Amino acid sequence: MASNLAVAVLNGIVWGLIMALIALGLNLIFGLLHIINMAHGALYMLGAVFSWYVIELTGNYWLALCVAPLAVGLVGLALERGLLRTIEDQPLVTIICTFGIMLVLQQLVLTYFGGTARRIALPIPGRIPLFDLQYPVMRIVIAAISAAVMGGLWLFLNRTRYGLWMRAVVQDREMAVALGIPVHKVYMWTFVLGSVLAAFSGVLAAPIVSVDFMMGREILIMAFIIVIVGGMGNLWGSVVTAVVISLIHGVGSIFVVPSTATVFSLGFMILVLLVRPQGLFGE
Amino acid sequence: MLLDNRKGAAFPLAFGLLAAVLAAVPFFADLFYQTFLTEILVWALFAISFDLIFGYVGLLSFGQALFFGLGGYAVAIPILKLGLGTGSGLLLSVAVPAAFAAFVGFFSVRLTGIHFVIITIIFALIGSTVGETWFSLTGGADGLVFMAPPLDLGVAKLDMMDIRTTYYLVLAIVALSYLFLRRMVRSPLGKVFIAIRENEERARLIGYDVRRYKLLAFVIAGGLSGLAGGLYTLSLKYASATFLHWSVSGHAVVYTIVGGAGTLVGPMLGAGLIMSLEHYLVKLLQATDLVVGAVLVSTLLLAPMGIVGFLRGKRK
Repeated sequence: MASNLAVAVLNGIVWGLIMALIALGLNLIFGLLHIINMAHGALYMLGAVFSWYVIELTGNYWLALCVAPLAVGLVGLALERGLLRTIEDQPLVTIICTFGIMLVLQQLVLTYFGGTARRIALPIPGRIPLFDLQYPVMRIVIAAISAAVMGGLWLFLNRTRYGLWMRAVVQDREMAVALGIPVHKVYMWTFVLGSVLAAFSGVLAAPIVSVDFMMGREILIMAFIIVIVGGMGNLWGSVVTAVVISLIHGVGSIFVVPSTATVFSLGFMILVLLVRPQGLFGE
Repeated sequence: MLLDNRKGAAFPLAFGLLAAVLAAVPFFADLFYQTFLTEILVWALFAISFDLIFGYVGLLSFGQALFFGLGGYAVAIPILKLGLGTGSGLLLSVAVPAAFAAFVGFFSVRLTGIHFVIITIIFALIGSTVGETWFSLTGGADGLVFMAPPLDLGVAKLDMMDIRTTYYLVLAIVALSYLFLRRMVRSPLGKVFIAIRENEERARLIGYDVRRYKLLAFVIAGGLSGLAGGLYTLSLKYASATFLHWSVSGHAVVYTIVGGAGTLVGPMLGAGLIMSLEHYLVKLLQATDLVVGAVLVSTLLLAPMGIVGFLRGKRK
């Protein structure tokens, strides 16, 4: 029991940190562009699929971890420049548009990648003993990488000029324009950054879950839950919420059926939406 | 277009002509096309029910799948488990989803914009999670297969296992639902809906209880989405928890956007066009969603008012 609980807690933290990266990307895009990006789960999936190809070609997971997110970043760049830019000021239209993009991306992957789920071998095969069980080292490495990326993001937002611009646009868009901040460029790089974060977590998740074209669909909803509960536009609220929700879900699943846990977390989200639409950590 | 805004005799004429053509279809089309057309009519009804809440009231509901799926089960479960008839099943397929819509709407209409979108997705997700888990009642993702008993109309008994009879029944119900919605959006009530869509604040200041009108529209839309689900299940003799998934609502969204939101003809036209496109393209490339997504995105960018809106804009 103790070992089961320990594994559930560890898994909850590892998965929570991956989810936090996804939610950060979604929330970053929402906070700046006010776009609910329905294609975010598809970008996460695309990252995992690209990494599978890179690993097939080179056999190197770490190379995939660098290349795949950049490739998805390019996709994000094309989507923002080509499609979303003209409709950025209409929230409902962008929801529908990104829903269409999601359909297209999923179908493209289904056509070229196929409908069967594929596995990626653990790049670090070792295990460490945990009570009477063995825990894969790779998962701990994944959690560490996630945490490191979040640290890097924090530095980027708080210590660089672009980060300052981004925070300025979130705070007061008109004033930012008046001060000469190139708002449309900031939008563009924010969307790219969000796409890269989604893809990066897709590559990180790939050795844990299997890679298939529908893997982003349920993740998208989880990411929504996290962003809303943590507060839309509140990045660090998302991180805390991601870890807490994953822990509750992981530990809860030992005691109740997973679907019951899902229904309860969805019900909780409705409650948050109605009572505190600004999120639990919002002002 | 002809159907939507001409005054005088033009509308009854155009409507009668179209109805006559559709009624004549079984005499020259084979069973496959009768089934296909039945399906288009069902999805067209689903699309206009969504359009009532989105195109007229301005609320983007991705949760209509919940009512569609419930409507399906409201037909299948009574027939299969309670031994009820097809007629009571169809009545339930309006009543049960409308009741659920009253519950969901009670909470949802308090929210606006993207919060409304998300809360409707969550309600649909709860529905599909429960539907997939409650296997003994719903059959889960495998669904329920049943035999539809004949529909007793008093003057005649309709054989619901017959494809042509089912087609006529669906045609009649969809046509009546269309006329019902058309009458409604042109009534003072419909004007209030449009006023809320155009400027919620102003509608409230004039003195309308905006939430109550939104709830009313949501319940009517839910009931009609349910009816579409009930007819779909009745024509397939099959109901499944997969119908409840929020992404099924995407069909209605696509048809409505492509055809033209805020018109009733648009979404029906959109359903017919997109489904025909899918049908003919599936032989060429196995990627129907690719086409649907691409058509959706390009409509939003090139003709945001949809086909009907585009044509109307040209005529003005």
